[in-house]
Amino acid sequence: MAVISAIPIVPYTVGANRIVRGMRIEHVCGDPTLSEEGDHALNMRIVQTALRALKTEVDAPTIFEPSETQAAEVAHVS
Amino acid sequence: MKVLHYLNQFFGGIGGEEHANEPARLLDGAVGPGRALDAALGDGGSVIATIVCGDNYFVENEDAARAFVKTAIEEHKPDVIVTGPAFDSGRYGLACGLVGQIARENGVPSLSAMEPDNPGVAVYRRDMICLPTGTNVADMGKILQQVAGFAVRLGAGETLGSALEEGYIPRGFRPDMMHEKPGSTRAVDMVLARINGEPFQSEIVIRDYDHVSPPPPLETLEGIKVAIVTSGGLVPKGNPDKLAAARADSYFHYSIDGMQELVAGEWETIHGGYGHHWVNERDPNYVVPLRSLRKLEAQKEIGSIYGSYISTVGNQTSITNARQFGQEIAKEFTEAEVGAVIMVPT
Repeated sequence: MAVISAIPIVPYTVGANRIVRGMRIEHVCGDPTLSEEGDHALNMRIVQTALRALKTEVDAPTIFEPSETQAAEVAHVS
Repeated sequence: MKVLHYLNQFFGGIGGEEHANEPARLLDGAVGPGRALDAALGDGGSVIATIVCGDNYFVENEDAARAFVKTAIEEHKPDVIVTGPAFDSGRYGLACGLVGQIARENGVPSLSAMEPDNPGVAVYRRDMICLPTGTNVADMGKILQQVAGFAVRLGAGETLGSALEEGYIPRGFRPDMMHEKPGSTRAVDMVLARINGEPFQSEIVIRDYDHVSPPPPLETLEGIKVAIVTSGGLVPKGNPDKLAAARADSYFHYSIDGMQELVAGEWETIHGGYGHHWVNERDPNYVVPLRSLRKLEAQKEIGSIYGSYISTVGNQTSITNARQFGQEIAKEFTEAEVGAVIMVPT
């Protein structure tokens, strides 16, 4: 399990092992100040960070930063 | 004896959840429950100033909040800082704890009061003296009497006794002390008391969260079924199952079969602990990121998405209930061969 949280210190303290830093409490997986396109790309980056966390070996609570996730080429599915 | 008090926007009289993003402000004298605290201090001291800040602002802008509190300390030179009481309000408890940490870093003793399950205790218990409360705000007067008593002692530079003797929440410290009997004798005495059915008190009180060993990483998510869980309270518009906005005792499944994304207007969050505007009006995928996961499914980055997302509310929810939800959901996912879970709390 990967936990996406805007206050990562809480899952960190209670012992969740794979934690992704979200944006803010009211919009954890995105940022409404961005354009819709930018916001969707950010949501994707955060979710991709969760997948990266799930593929990473950890031995204790670890916080993964979306800013450190390579934005993969995202084909637009419409 | 000078007390600096910290309150959130609600108790500080600014307003409710719609004001949770208010930046910190410093007010003269006592505000809201601070007036009762000031009265309870009597001749022992007074509340000289009050910091009031929105719950979201404080925990989301830690650097700015930290600087603000530090400046307030330098300006007013309090003998003790009192925060809350925060009861079972999670963000408020976290803010109180953070103020406690800043106080400690600046050499000022601090005191708070909140429910022992409050995440503020879990995160900051080492930084502050914290008195246990229940969840009933009507107990405010009684709690502030206790707070005032401790504040006077801390403000006078007194070193408190142990958590057990004094009744505050254990901080997880084991200070060195001299004891008339060696540990081996005390341990044997304890065993004998237990055998004889006599009362005894362990010297080590352990209250901790479950330790969950991290599962090994997945080599790939190709072919893996991924499930989405949220404690952000997202439900179909109208909340057909009447999921509770606070202290949830249930969780619900909502089908996402065939959906490419969650469409604003068809869903809503009923969570009682954060502003709903962005999730409800702009994008429910902020708490259930289905849109991105569908794209990743189409690109075969993941195998499939479990047919329903699971929703509950993580707002003053008891650890007992949360543990039961987790155990039931884990069993369900294991039987359904779910290989990975993405959880979004708010």
